[in-house]
Amino acid sequence: MIFVQAVLLGVPMTVLITVLAFALGAVLGVPLALARRAGFAPLQWAARFVIDVLRGIPPVVFLFVIYFGVGTGVIKFSSLQAAVIGLGLIAAGYLAEIYRGGLLAVHKGQFESAAALGMNSWTSMSRIIGPQAFRVALPSATTYAIGLLKDSSIASTITATEILYRATASSRGHGAGLEPFLIAAVVYIALGAPLAWLSRTMDAKMRARVAR
Amino acid sequence: MTTSPGALADSPVGVTLRNVRKQFGDHVVVDDVSMAVAPGEVVSIIGPSGAGKSTLLRCINLLERPDSGDITVGDVTIHPETGVSPKDLTSLRRTAGMVFQSFNLFPHLTVLRNISIAQERVLGRDRKEADARSRELLARVGLAEKADTYPTRSSGGQQQRIAIARALAMAPKVMLFDEPTSALDPELGLDVLEVMRGLAGEGMTMIVVTHEMHFAQDVSDRIVVMADGRIIEQGPPSQVLTAPSNERTKRFLRAVTDR
Amino acid sequence: MNEDTLLGGWLAWLPSLLDGLWLSVRVAGASLIIGIPLGLALALLMSAKHKWVRVLAIIVVEVGRGTPALVMLQIVYFGLPSAGITVGSFVAAVVALALTTGAYTSEILRAGLQAVPHGEVEAASALAMNNRDTLRFIVIPQGVRIAIPALLGFAILILQATALTFTIALPELLSRSYSIGSNTFRYLDVLLLAGLLYLIITLPAGWLTGWTERRMARHL
Repeated sequence: MIFVQAVLLGVPMTVLITVLAFALGAVLGVPLALARRAGFAPLQWAARFVIDVLRGIPPVVFLFVIYFGVGTGVIKFSSLQAAVIGLGLIAAGYLAEIYRGGLLAVHKGQFESAAALGMNSWTSMSRIIGPQAFRVALPSATTYAIGLLKDSSIASTITATEILYRATASSRGHGAGLEPFLIAAVVYIALGAPLAWLSRTMDAKMRARVAR
Repeated sequence: MTTSPGALADSPVGVTLRNVRKQFGDHVVVDDVSMAVAPGEVVSIIGPSGAGKSTLLRCINLLERPDSGDITVGDVTIHPETGVSPKDLTSLRRTAGMVFQSFNLFPHLTVLRNISIAQERVLGRDRKEADARSRELLARVGLAEKADTYPTRSSGGQQQRIAIARALAMAPKVMLFDEPTSALDPELGLDVLEVMRGLAGEGMTMIVVTHEMHFAQDVSDRIVVMADGRIIEQGPPSQVLTAPSNERTKRFLRAVTDR
Repeated sequence: MNEDTLLGGWLAWLPSLLDGLWLSVRVAGASLIIGIPLGLALALLMSAKHKWVRVLAIIVVEVGRGTPALVMLQIVYFGLPSAGITVGSFVAAVVALALTTGAYTSEILRAGLQAVPHGEVEAASALAMNNRDTLRFIVIPQGVRIAIPALLGFAILILQATALTFTIALPELLSRSYSIGSNTFRYLDVLLLAGLLYLIITLPAGWLTGWTERRMARHL
């Protein structure tokens, strides 16, 4: 039972990394998604390239680059900072594509009627297009958040004291046992379940509201 | 389009439905319907949407499982309430062929394979035999050249004719048609109706759910009118279509012809 | 070329890193070859007739999807010895990633199978084809085809996951990069090369996935 306590000690750090990284990604994803749709071709290609790289590089490699590569020279990052920056930038790449999906799903006529009513792009985006795109993007974004929760385990490799780090330490301290890892798995599944349930209920509620 | 006598409608059988009832949740879609179709008879079922026509048809080959009642196709009788053995189910579906409103061809198989696959897997024919029979049937519906193409390359009317050939490949003794031309432009539908006429002419037992009043009038031996899950009137076309006795029938026919 | 420059370092380290990359690719390949059929089996079991078979399949899938890959690697690597089976890192890595693949792809394949128009299943039934033949000739061939873009996308994620196997002593690309880094203290230089090598595979694979997706959408 000491294993359970030890592993649970990592939960706050896991939650912290997940929430901060998701927040960073949610914010940075917006300019990336808009750049993807900008009329200016080089900007579009650059945004597309950045997104492709962020989604193509293995997260652990990216964290290593930030923590060991960058974070040991002039700039020093703590493992928490490196984890949040790394996972947050990657999240920005994925969320930018999710936003893009949401925007694409909004019927083109909406853009046109907003413009016809004399709204500028800011108003039309925030009042008309945005909310509809949000509704489409939310399920995918929630699914991504659950994935991010699991990816936070990667931060253990750069010594962030989250769930897996605690489990590994527990295991090493007691003869390379299996139990701490099993407990860690259960904790991750348990943490993910409410998010998955939330996603399903939100999905159902939104379908009910939009149903004509 | 020529149809040669004999091979297609070999010893057709009759279909009998006794007190068939089907409901979905609280909604009773088929309400205690009894009907007998004699071998070689062509029956058209007409009526307003939601009358239960398609559901009734789909009960015959058990694509819908009735909540109560008996179904007899040929000499196999089943009582769905007490369960249907796999043997009876297969026998039923081999005897009754079905053609769907949306054709339901298999897009990943060539037209030839579409027609051959059930012959091989269900009837146990080998590929050569099955393919030969498939080509024969394709020629009958006037589409021999389509054999090695994929279904999506054909028009709706052609796809439906291919679907008819696919059903006929199983040597059924009764054919069920579920609104076969409803998804087609009127022009494309004509070819399909021609094939169906030919089939009727050869003596096949046919039960057709349709909106095509001309076809129903010309080809049917009997017209059955359904509304609200019940048969409200039936009889020869001359009677039902020109001088119906039921008020509801009159209303339906007026709506259909006044369009 | 002088090894102390960036390019010089890269050239010197390339042979070792390429060996590591090849190992990563082999781990990913083996995991997919075993995991995707496993995923199909799980997807089919989830619609099985017996309730307990369905429940078991769902549990396996939820556990497989809810457990982070890194945790799965540790469980297999430390778990198998306690069950009396001694395996090397390669086998442990493949077992863990194949299980993860099976769990994730079962959802992907289930969606693909369900996307096959139900009317075709009805037509097959009306032709008196039994369930097994309908699955084998009608549903699975089309369902798998529908799932291909998503499966490709997942394959890319599995290749990325192989970078985590350094934690179970597999000398793949990241592991070698880190040792070179700790020997030369040129972490940034070598890690950038490692990142580049992964991208050389994942970027074109990503573009291929997008192209496949667009092509399939057109043919619908």
